[in-house]
Amino acid sequence: MPEAVKSNPAENKPVVAGPKPFTTEDEAALREALKRCSAPTFEAAVQYRRTGNPEHVPAVVIGVIERFVEPDLRHKLKDPDDDLRLIEDLGTDSLTMMEIVILVEDVLQMTINNDELRNLRTVGDVKTFIDCKIRGLPQPKPTKFLPIEHIGSVMPVQPPFLFLNEASVSSAGANAKYKITGQEFFLQGHFKGNPVMPASIMLEALGQLAVLYLLEGAVTEPGKVVGPGTIYFTGCEGVRAHRICRPGDLLTLSIKPKRMKMPLATFEGSVRVGQEKAVIVEEVTLTFGYVDAAAAPSSADAAAPQAGKLVPSESAPLDPAITA
Amino acid sequence: MPRVFITGLGFITSIGNDSGAVVKSLTELRHGFEVYAPFQMPEIPCKVLGTIKEFFTDSSDPEDWTWPGRYSIKRETIRSMAPNGLFAHCAMLQAIEDAKLGMAEVSSPGTGLYAASGGSPMLTHHHHERLGKVGVMRCSPVGIIASIVGTLNFNLVAAFRIRGASCGFSSACASSAHAIGFAFDEIALGRQERMFVVGAEDGNLDAILPFAGMRTLSLQSDPDIASRPFDTARDGFVGTGGGAVLVLESEREVDRRGVRPYAEVRGWGQASDGYNVAIPQPEGCGLQLAMEHALRHAGVPAAEVDYVSAHATSTLIGDIAEARALRAVFAAAGATPAVSSTKALTGHGLSLAGAMETGFCALGMAHGFTPGSAHLKTIDPECAGLNVIRETLPKAPAVTLKNSSGFGGANVSVVLKKA
Repeated sequence: MPEAVKSNPAENKPVVAGPKPFTTEDEAALREALKRCSAPTFEAAVQYRRTGNPEHVPAVVIGVIERFVEPDLRHKLKDPDDDLRLIEDLGTDSLTMMEIVILVEDVLQMTINNDELRNLRTVGDVKTFIDCKIRGLPQPKPTKFLPIEHIGSVMPVQPPFLFLNEASVSSAGANAKYKITGQEFFLQGHFKGNPVMPASIMLEALGQLAVLYLLEGAVTEPGKVVGPGTIYFTGCEGVRAHRICRPGDLLTLSIKPKRMKMPLATFEGSVRVGQEKAVIVEEVTLTFGYVDAAAAPSSADAAAPQAGKLVPSESAPLDPAITA
Repeated sequence: MPRVFITGLGFITSIGNDSGAVVKSLTELRHGFEVYAPFQMPEIPCKVLGTIKEFFTDSSDPEDWTWPGRYSIKRETIRSMAPNGLFAHCAMLQAIEDAKLGMAEVSSPGTGLYAASGGSPMLTHHHHERLGKVGVMRCSPVGIIASIVGTLNFNLVAAFRIRGASCGFSSACASSAHAIGFAFDEIALGRQERMFVVGAEDGNLDAILPFAGMRTLSLQSDPDIASRPFDTARDGFVGTGGGAVLVLESEREVDRRGVRPYAEVRGWGQASDGYNVAIPQPEGCGLQLAMEHALRHAGVPAAEVDYVSAHATSTLIGDIAEARALRAVFAAAGATPAVSSTKALTGHGLSLAGAMETGFCALGMAHGFTPGSAHLKTIDPECAGLNVIRETLPKAPAVTLKNSSGFGGANVSVVLKKA
């Protein structure tokens, strides 16, 4: 018994660094661990363990997530969408997250702490998290989910010209939903007896989401934030409308930053209804500028005074007490 | 006092995986024993088990398990279960359908669930072994939920969205009889309108073999004669697992829903031997007291009981103690109710026994039969004076007394009346 106790801690030690020879026993253990995963998942894991090349990691992570998702929801992972939410879209709970993590730890020979798990809400979050961890890079800001109250309190654009109902923002991009209610004022005239959402307004909505990204998701200089009053539209390229959108349609908006160098930020964007493309924008470019972090809260609060309470705690850096 | 009725039943047992199959086995006295492969090792003295057919649960990984395709159970439900949870889950689905309950009635503040299982020795062993081997942070997050004694109620209460009273009972082989008694109380006291009572056990090598160390298991290798309660040649019990579910409902619910109950639970009683941790008091004084309490509570004189479903497990000491207790209760009243032990057919289901056998009694009362005591050739002279019936009688008893006894000298008696 004393020997057994002594030998255990050594086995439990996390692998430190540097590639370790991948033995046939390791391969057998890996095969057993991944026996309920797809063959490509196993292959990717073998490649990663042999070479240490992080390119193989996303396939392993997606394969492990797929294995724990109920069969009738797995098709959602076929066309991997980084914005798939683990709980809402894939039906997993925090226990399943733990099962996913334990298997990923085992397969990729890494250790993940409990506090690192809390911010992982989407498939993209998990992939980015594991990737940064393996490459030894700092973790990006977690995805923030913003309700309409928060959007209204930070945006320079306000109703009736605000076309975002809810949004999620991470450093990698932003997504939002907008439901065409039919009550929009411009639909009275666009068109006569035939309400159709103007493509120009959908482009505007994507621009608004890019504004939200600049305010909430963009990585800024220390002590600075993007000033809401500094953002304006400058141009767009490659705009195509693919689908007529009418009252009742739920628009899913998505933007990703392509280039960001003050004073210009360029994004790609899309509007979809379900799986159908509605509008694709190759490039939309905005101007922006920085202001001191301490100066920002008062202007945001002034826009919607009662919304201050609803601002989630992630906006803490805006608090002058903390930055001072 | 409000009256309580049995309105639904579900069975995954060694003698059948639904009510129809169980009725057939009980009336034709067909046992559920097989030579159990994991026991066939030279160092294992017992050979026979009351096996659960159509299920494979001998793996420590629930995702390896198989069960009949008519039950659809999700991975996230099965992952925290022991084998006894799977058996009981299937029996729950049967009982809900049998009682004609909608999900709104199952998941309501008026519906509770009391359960009893001995936990899962197999999974406890597996998870602790893994803990030592790979470290705790690589162990299943639900290992403990699947292993410990409350696993059955944890899983079922969550899976069926139970919102009323829930609790687990742990008095070994009296556990699910206790669950029936206290479920009766919940309804009789007006706290709940409906209670699920669940008994279940893994009934596999890890769950049963330790009893060989106590010298309480039959060492017979012939499945046809291994379990024979009250017989002179009996040499111990045969283990079994499975799951049984009873739906208990208030009279008001029975009337409101217009369902036809199997039987009425008239009352119950319990008492303890105060004697030994495992050996029954030789005169069965605790069991005698439990029967007397139950009859008094039910307001039924001993002479009106026409069938006793005995606890009798086919052990040397236990059957005699129960026989003496039965004589003490009924001889004084000049009564000779029919006595039988269905463990001759099923084996001993431990925590499952009380619920399973009360379910059998309810089936007999509704379908018009009194289960016989199988495999009885020569009655033990110590058990003389009892009317142990060797064949199933084609007549429903009007009043049934169901006995259960467990470690520590716990004894429970339940009185059922024809509805």
